[in-house]
This record gives sequence, C-alpha cells and structure tokens, in this order.
Amino acid sequence: MAQPTPIYIAASPRPRVGKTVLARLLVEFLRSGGRPVGAYDLNPREPVLAGYFPQLVSPIDIADTHGQMVLFDQLIARRPVTRVVDVGYGAYDQFFGVMAEIGFVREARRRMMEPVVLFAADRAAATVRAYADLRRCLPDITVVPVHNEFVSVTCDKDDFPPTRTACRMIRIPRLSQLVRGVIDRPSFSFAAYLEATPGTPTEIHGWVAGIFNEFRELELRLLMGTLGASLSRGGGDW
Amino acid sequence: MTKPSVIVVGADKGGVGKTTVSRTLLDYFTAHHVPTRAFDSESPKGTLKRFHPDVTEVVDVTSVPDQMKIFDTLSNDDSKVTVIDVRAGLLSPTLRALRDIGFLDSVKKGQITFAVFHILGSSIASLNEIEETASFTADAKYFLVKNYVNNTSFFEWDQATHAAYFKKLKDAVEITIPKLNEMAYEQVELASVPFLTFVANKNPKGDAANYSFVLRGYVRHWLGNVWAEYDRIKLNDIIGAAAAANGPRAQAAARS
Repeated sequence: MAQPTPIYIAASPRPRVGKTVLARLLVEFLRSGGRPVGAYDLNPREPVLAGYFPQLVSPIDIADTHGQMVLFDQLIARRPVTRVVDVGYGAYDQFFGVMAEIGFVREARRRMMEPVVLFAADRAAATVRAYADLRRCLPDITVVPVHNEFVSVTCDKDDFPPTRTACRMIRIPRLSQLVRGVIDRPSFSFAAYLEATPGTPTEIHGWVAGIFNEFRELELRLLMGTLGASLSRGGGDW
Repeated sequence: MTKPSVIVVGADKGGVGKTTVSRTLLDYFTAHHVPTRAFDSESPKGTLKRFHPDVTEVVDVTSVPDQMKIFDTLSNDDSKVTVIDVRAGLLSPTLRALRDIGFLDSVKKGQITFAVFHILGSSIASLNEIEETASFTADAKYFLVKNYVNNTSFFEWDQATHAAYFKKLKDAVEITIPKLNEMAYEQVELASVPFLTFVANKNPKGDAANYSFVLRGYVRHWLGNVWAEYDRIKLNDIIGAAAAANGPRAQAAARS
C-alpha cells in the first residue's frame, strides 16, 4: 500500500518560539534518513532557515498572489520529496487563510500527500486561541502541538488537544545556554554532529537523538493511523 | 413540459461585469444539468461566445431577424433557459423591444419565466437606470447585482438616495458578486474557458491544462460564493430547474 508523503509545516502565530529550530531539526532528520527534502522559508525579511540550507531552502514571500502560486503549486507538485515549510509569524494568517480558501488539504490528499502542522505551542493566550482557530478553520488537517521547553517551561496540554488521539504533543527539551550557542552557529549540523563526534555522548547528542526519536514516533503514529483508516475503510485513502 | 425561462443580463453602462455574471450563470446551469443556450449581443464579436462557444450565438438584439431567432424558438428549442447578455447601453432598448413584440405580455400570462439581472455601476447614474428599466419589469424577477469582481466600489451611493430608489422596486432583490483575485481573473481570461473548465484544469479543447492550483482554488472558492448567492435567491426554483434537469437533453448531458 502506498503511503502518503508528509508535508511538514512548522508554524506559530508568535515570533521567537522556536519554529525555525523545529524546521531545521526536521530537515536534518529527514536528510539523515536519506530522504529527498524540499524546504520553504516564509520569513522574507529574515530567512534564517534558508541561511542554514541555502541549496535546499527556497525563501518565499506569500504576501502576493505570485508568491502563493510559487509556494502552493510547488508543494502540490507530484515529486518524491518530503516538504518542510517554516511559516514565519508574519505569514501565519495568510498561509492558513490561503490554504483553506484554495482547498489545499483535499487536493494534497488526492495526490497522496498529507499536510502535518507542527504547531509551536506556548502559554500565551494568543497562541491558545490561534490553535483553536486553526482547528476550526482547517478541521481535517493533522496538527501536532510541539512544546519547546526553551521557550516556555510549562505548557498546558489541555490547551492543545491533538487532532488525532494518536498524535500526542512533541516535547523539545531545554538545552543549556552554552550549548544553545553551539547549535545556533550557521555551520552547525545536528545530523553530522550525531554521526561525526566520537566518544562519550554529550548533552547535544542526547538532545538531538531524543528529538529525532520523537519524529520517528510521529511518523510511525501517522503510518499506523493510515493503516488503521485503510483497514476500517477497506481502502488506501489516508 | 416546463415553461421556458429567459434571463436578461444587462446594464446601461459598460465595464460593470455583465459578461462575467452571464458566465457564472451558464456555469451554474451547467453544474445543475439545466439545458441552456445563450445570446451575446456584443455583435459582431462576442466576449461571451469566446468563453462558451458551444451554447452561444452572437446576435443583434435590435434587428428583427435576430429577435425572431431568439424569441420565436423559445418553445421549440431543447434548452430550458435562455441567457441574453445585453451589450452596454442596450438594456432599456431591449426591454422596450420585448414589450413591443408582446414578450412581456406572455410573461404576464405566465407562459414564460422572465428574469432581469441588472448589473449596477458605481455611480448615481445606475440608480436612474433602475428607475427606467423598472417600468418594464413588473412581471419579471428583477435582480439588482452589485458586482465587486472588478474592484467596483459603490462610493457614490448615498444611503438615503439608495434607499429611496430601492423603495420604488418592491420586489427587487439584491445580489452581491464578490471580488475575485485579480491574477486568477486574468488567467481565466487568457485561458478563454468557462470558470468551471478552469477549475477542472482543462483547456478549451477539453484536454488537461496546466493552470496554477492556487489560481484554480481562488476561482473555485469565488464561484462557490457566487453560486451561494444564486441558491439564496432560489434561482433553480425560479426557472423550474428540477423539471428541466430531468429532460432528455439534460440527461444526455449528465451522462456525457
């Protein structure tokens, strides 16, 4: 049975909540598994993700229709590539507004792709509201809340109910300030660090390995969801 | 047999989107399997015919032979609905001609269903047009269409003046056509296909095209909103679409 290719969307309506780190981690996770990746940075003023992967990431401004065409027409193109989209807070409303208006989720599924929103959760009331609005606006889409402990120490899970019971909140543990400086270096690669550094595992090893495990689990849960739905429907539809 | 319906789409001013509205009506009836034909009075070169060549004929509504072509065939033609896209400046003369040939009498007797889609312009002159055309449409379904598709803003309309004019038309119903993304509109223009065909990503020959998914999405969403307006005014009930859609030609169209 063919599996839908995920389109990962790292998003939050607020700035500086770790969306780009999340997108970086995803890109490296996918590449470390030998999967072809295409990524899009929707932060036209400060395309940080594009700075880390200049050959891989296309910076796009979706404020106008032309940019929207470039992004969504590429996302929907039938190519064996896993896409990652870093939705800057400035593009958040526009991105999901266009997505809903043009019927993106339905068309993506028709083409065997599955949009999965990795929503950077935090304690701000605006974020909680935006999460509820997103679920209302795109009721069929898979949304996985991500709690980055570097941004907020705690996060109320009840504020971010999963869209599928199997897709629980992903936790990104807090890194010490010193190590944080290391991973923020433009030349730093999580996957390369995991493979190349010999000897005793460091704080970064444990941190990256744990997050990659979370991603693996997420993909497994999505796959199980597909299989379950397929079995109950007797078909291969996601 | 269901009685024929005639829908006149017009305005006395150019550039207000008459043909766009006619196109949405043709798409609406196509989607509901209602056999429809259209006449484009932008003689000799019709814009409506460019988008719907199979069902459209270019005519001069002021000439007697063409009037015969349209109205003498109402009962004989398989098409349940006739849409007439009236060229700018010809709405009032066309309505006058319909009165003179006895068409409006047939409407009064209930032999023909008649609807007028009067596309309004932004200026106060549009309100004067309403007064002029209203005298011909006592027995018609009269729709006043505010068309925002090409960015019209009805800035010249003072609310009190507007209300005073509308009060004179006790049965007139307002329809709002929302704005369509400019780039999407332009691409459909370039493609020269019906909106529905554009959404289905087909070229004029019916082969697969390569239109932007985003632009198709914008058109689909917009067309859905326009049709919601037609559903709101119960357009299908007005023209007796259920009976028409069960006719032999409609069934053949639905099968194909």
